[in-house]
Amino acid sequence: MASKTVRVYLGTRKGGYVAESDAKRRKWSVRGPFQPGKDVFHVYPDPRHPGTVYSAANSGFVGPMFYRSTDHGRKWTELAPPMMTLSKARPSPFGADGPPHYPIVNLWHIEAGPVSEPSTVFLGVDPASLYRSDDSGASWAPVPGLNDHATRPKWNPGAGGMCLHTILIDPTRPSRMYVGISAAGMFRSDDSGEHWRPANRGVAVSFMPEKHPEVGQCVHKVALDPAHPETSYRQDHDGIFVSHDGMENWKRVGRPLESDFGFVVGVAQTRPGQAYFVPLEEKTRTGFTKGPEVFRWAERSRSWAPTIRNRLTPGDVGTHREALALDRLDPPGIYLGTTTGQLLVSPDGDRNWLQVPYLFPSIHSVAVASPENSGS
Amino acid sequence: MVAIHLDTVLAEFVPNRRLTSPAPTLSALLDDLEERFPRLRFRIRDETGSVRRFIRVFVNGAEVVGPKGLGTTLDPKDEVDFLHSVQGG
Repeated sequence: MASKTVRVYLGTRKGGYVAESDAKRRKWSVRGPFQPGKDVFHVYPDPRHPGTVYSAANSGFVGPMFYRSTDHGRKWTELAPPMMTLSKARPSPFGADGPPHYPIVNLWHIEAGPVSEPSTVFLGVDPASLYRSDDSGASWAPVPGLNDHATRPKWNPGAGGMCLHTILIDPTRPSRMYVGISAAGMFRSDDSGEHWRPANRGVAVSFMPEKHPEVGQCVHKVALDPAHPETSYRQDHDGIFVSHDGMENWKRVGRPLESDFGFVVGVAQTRPGQAYFVPLEEKTRTGFTKGPEVFRWAERSRSWAPTIRNRLTPGDVGTHREALALDRLDPPGIYLGTTTGQLLVSPDGDRNWLQVPYLFPSIHSVAVASPENSGS
Repeated sequence: MVAIHLDTVLAEFVPNRRLTSPAPTLSALLDDLEERFPRLRFRIRDETGSVRRFIRVFVNGAEVVGPKGLGTTLDPKDEVDFLHSVQGG
C-alpha cells in the first residue's frame, strides 16, 4: 500500500532540508542539510515526476550550482546551470557572440513546464533572465523574447538583485505564461514564451517619479487561482492586488490591512477563490502583529481574515518571497518559512497552526509535494 | 611542476587540495585543472572567463589581480594558492 508522505522542501541560507509527515501533517521529521553551507534559493519538487526534485544553490565564492534528485532529495546529481556546461569542451566565453550578456549572479526560481512537455523546466535567474531546458535540466537555452525585451533598459534591481523570481503557466492554456521580475514587474506571453508584454496596469509605484509606468514595478510574488487562472493574486512592494483578466488590469485590495507590504502569496488547489498573504511593515520587513500572521483573502466576500488564532512564539518575524506553499490535500496544508528559521504549518486549511520542532537557518523557499503529486 | 593549493571552499570539486601542474601560465594552469577536474569549471572562473569576485589567487604569496593576472607566467618551482575572501556569515 502506498504511503501518504507529505514532503516540504526548504531552501535555506545554509543548505536544503526536507520535512516529512503523513497526511495528518501534525508530526514532522527533518532530513538535511543537502548542499550544506550553500545559499539554496529554491528547492522544487516536479509535480509531473514523483520523486524528482530540483535545487538552485548559490555561493558568493564559487557561483551558482544546479542539482537534481530522483529519490525525494536523498541523493543529488550536479547539473550545469545555464552557460556553465560540465562537458569536457569548455565553451569559449569569447566566441562569435562575445562573452555572455548577462552573467549569472544567482539562480532564483525553478518551474516545471506544461504537463504536455514532461522534460521541460524553466529557470529564472539574476540578472533577470529566463532559461528553458527541454532535457530535465541537463542543458539550457535562453528565452530571448523576454531576456532582450525592448523595456529591459528600464528594469532595475530591487534589494535582492534584479531577479526573475516568478514563473507561472496557465494550466488551462499552457501557451500562456507569466514571469515576475524585481523591479520590472509582471510580463505575459501568449505564445509559449516567444513574445512578451508588460502586465502591470493598475499597479502604481511609490519609488519612481512616474507613478504608473509600463514597467518598473517591484512585484514580489504572484499566484494564479487554481480554478480560474484568469484570476491572479499579486503581492507587490506597493500593495496587494487582484486581477480577473489574465493580468491585463490590477486592482489593489490590500488597503484594509494595517499594511499591505509583504513578499509572499499562496493559493490552495482545493480552495479556489482564496489567497494567503503575510503582510509586513515596510520599514522593518517584519510583521505588525508581534508574531507570525497569515491573512486570508476571500474573493467572494472581498474580505480579509487573520488565520493564526493560537498565538505561536511572539517575535518580529519576516518572510522571503518564496517561503509560502500550500499542498493539494483537502483540507489544504499551509507552510510558511521565516527569515528566523521557523517552519509554521497549518495542517487543516488555516484552522490551527503548529511549528515544526526544528530551528532551520533563515528560510528562503518552501515547496511541498503532497501525496497527490509526490507519488510516494 | 607548479605546486597548487586549493582552500576549503574549492575542496568539493577536486579529489585532493594539493595538486601540481606543468602549465607555463596561470591561465593555462586553470585550463589544465578544469580539464582534469571538470567540476572545477566555472567555480574559479565564471562564464565570462573572469576569476570570481571572492576567489583570490596568489603566486608565491603575491596576489594576482585583474584580467591581465591570468597571463602571469609560471616557473616550475612556483607555488599557486587559490583562497577565498573573508566574506559572508
